[in-house]
Amino acid sequence: MAVQIVMDRSGDSRFLFDPASATEVADAERRFRQLTRRGFTATARLGPGQMAILRSFDPNVEECVFFPQLVGG
Amino acid sequence: MFGLDRSERADRRRRQALLALFRQHRLNRSPDGRAQRLLREWLTPAQRQQLASRGHFEVVGSHTGRRYRIYSGAAMNVCELDDHGRVRRGLCFLPVGELPTGDVMLAQKLALEMCEDSVMLVAREFVPRPLYWT
Repeated sequence: MAVQIVMDRSGDSRFLFDPASATEVADAERRFRQLTRRGFTATARLGPGQMAILRSFDPNVEECVFFPQLVGG
Repeated sequence: MFGLDRSERADRRRRQALLALFRQHRLNRSPDGRAQRLLREWLTPAQRQQLASRGHFEVVGSHTGRRYRIYSGAAMNVCELDDHGRVRRGLCFLPVGELPTGDVMLAQKLALEMCEDSVMLVAREFVPRPLYWT
């Protein structure tokens, strides 16, 4: 199972999906597009200490964290 | 001791352990607890160690290679370091929304490590608190 972790007021919301299921992958891709359109940045952990920004949806990424748009304080 | 026999003392220890377990469980389910857990999961072992022992951790900017220190906090908690590891200036930026502290710190870490140039476009400079200069 893969997971999309979205930061929010509750700490985070986690959305699990099965990369082998076309329906679940489609839902995950839709969520990815909605969030990035709203200004969230998607980041993936590729290995120990290795991370990358996801510019497009990749169903093979096992764990992805979305953080909201940044503003100056 | 204190008029308690061995079984009463063992009972008391069991109750205290159970209470501590419940408290930890409740904390882990709170927004702050969940955010702290996510932060710990995404820190490198070295950063986790720094946070546990010093209350802050360091990251390297993706574009300039500059080092930044992220302190526990949700605003005015990031400082740029000079070549000697001394605080050079404060940078204030945070994700929109009222996120728990752990989420704010993780967003700051991820942003500096992966899109430092975007951070610099929005961050406001501030004079760090004396506590941060040490």
